[in-house]
Amino acid sequence: MSHATPIKSAPVIEYAEYAPQEADRRPTDWAAQAIAVETKNLSRAVVDKVLVRDISVQVQKGEVLAVVGPSGAGKSSFLRLLNRLDEATGGTVLLDGEDYRAIAPRELRRRVGMVMQMAYLFPGTVAENIAFGPLQRHQTMSQEQIKALLDRVALPGYQDRDVSTLSGGEAQRVSLARTLANSPEVLLLDEPTSALDEASAHGIEELVLRVIRERQMTCVIVTHDMQQAARIADRTMYLEAGKLVAVVPTNGVSHAG
Amino acid sequence: MLAELMQSLSSDVSRGMAQAAGAVTLCLAVVLICRWFAVHVERETVLSLVRGLVQMVFVGIVLALLLHGNALVGMLILLAMTFAAAVTASRRAQGIKDALLLCFYAIAAGAGVVIVGMLATGTLHSDIAILVPVGSMIIANAMNACAQSIERFSADVTAHVGQVEAGLALGAEPAVTVAPYVQSAVYASLLPRLDMLKSLGLVWIPGVMAGMMVSGASPIYAGIYQFIIVVMILAASGIAGLLVTLLIRTRAFSPAAQLTLRPGEPHKPRLAAVNAQ
Repeated sequence: MSHATPIKSAPVIEYAEYAPQEADRRPTDWAAQAIAVETKNLSRAVVDKVLVRDISVQVQKGEVLAVVGPSGAGKSSFLRLLNRLDEATGGTVLLDGEDYRAIAPRELRRRVGMVMQMAYLFPGTVAENIAFGPLQRHQTMSQEQIKALLDRVALPGYQDRDVSTLSGGEAQRVSLARTLANSPEVLLLDEPTSALDEASAHGIEELVLRVIRERQMTCVIVTHDMQQAARIADRTMYLEAGKLVAVVPTNGVSHAG
Repeated sequence: MLAELMQSLSSDVSRGMAQAAGAVTLCLAVVLICRWFAVHVERETVLSLVRGLVQMVFVGIVLALLLHGNALVGMLILLAMTFAAAVTASRRAQGIKDALLLCFYAIAAGAGVVIVGMLATGTLHSDIAILVPVGSMIIANAMNACAQSIERFSADVTAHVGQVEAGLALGAEPAVTVAPYVQSAVYASLLPRLDMLKSLGLVWIPGVMAGMMVSGASPIYAGIYQFIIVVMILAASGIAGLLVTLLIRTRAFSPAAQLTLRPGEPHKPRLAAVNAQ
């Protein structure tokens, strides 16, 4: 059985030569773009604590939105609500205008992929990890498709490697490839570089930026690093104590930070 | 029945009490030796001795009364034992919704299938004096398997929240994300029973066999019968362990396929389900 969306073969990224360019940024007239994700009064409270408080924000198709704020501000909690890994206790999320509670959770999570802070690879080979998502829909990825994805994340020839032999940076690249194998419309990134050393973090950041630009993916990235937000995102939303403080074009946040 | 009981009491109690006094004396001697080494367990030991004696005499009286009942009484006793076993096993699943009921289902299914099967094939007599002790062994082992499965499953899932959620985030069924932990939980619950079967006769000679030999049965038949009992215990444990793990698995996720079994909060019903559809 073939994959739902054919995965295009692409040349390996030459990271040494790559640096985010201003030209990478898309038009900032976001009002003219279609809305990919919209949160409406989104809230989450657990027992005696409010994690996310009444957040309404729109993310346009192809936009990269960074979520920043101090520790405990509710950044990750907000992100986990977007693919319904946690349940909102108030409000909802619209995906392409459709209330996401009307979408089966498994289908929702295929459409809204997530890369976590840690790679959390499953025991086995790199290829098995990458093929995991499509396999859940009874779709088998070909060796060529897996190879193309690994080339994409600069891990050529890694398909038969046992995941226990990977470095932190390599594991995170596999995690990204594993998420991309599902051909998500929206990519959620939860501090994907925070657990890595500086060199690995830099590589992953460049890789993420290149992938989302090439695929014109809508992306929401949580980061505690203002500079990273400035490098990657088109707009940045600032959270504090679970509340949305501001959503501004990235340059504004960059200057403020 | 009461007259018989009183006669039994008068003839055996004095002998039993004398033997118990000997055992208690030895125990108190050990307590004194402990005291010599500044290990003070005097009060606790005396209380435990008194409590143990009173409880066992009480159980003896109850059994003496009950063992004159019919098969229906026997089944009711086993049902009560199953409930008590479920209460004990469900303590390992604190906070999991309907844990008591799930444990009761699992233990009743495991022990029930085996006991009914043994009764149907004539392996087990419906005589209450046989049905209750053998049934209680099967229920007790099903209870242990149940508790061990819950413990292992909860520990494994809470130790691998990241992996489980990574699977969920990739669109996997909840059952797929915890499949390895279901396997390890059921295996962990069966392992002691498998070891018991392996060591049968080599490391221990179970009570049923010893009892049958004392009462005049052929040692070979007593050995085979004990083997049957241990195999039935293994079967009951397997059913109970597997069933309770599968049932608890359904409680580890919300209706929207969100993991609700997490470390630090032993499955308190969270607000996660409030908005679930």
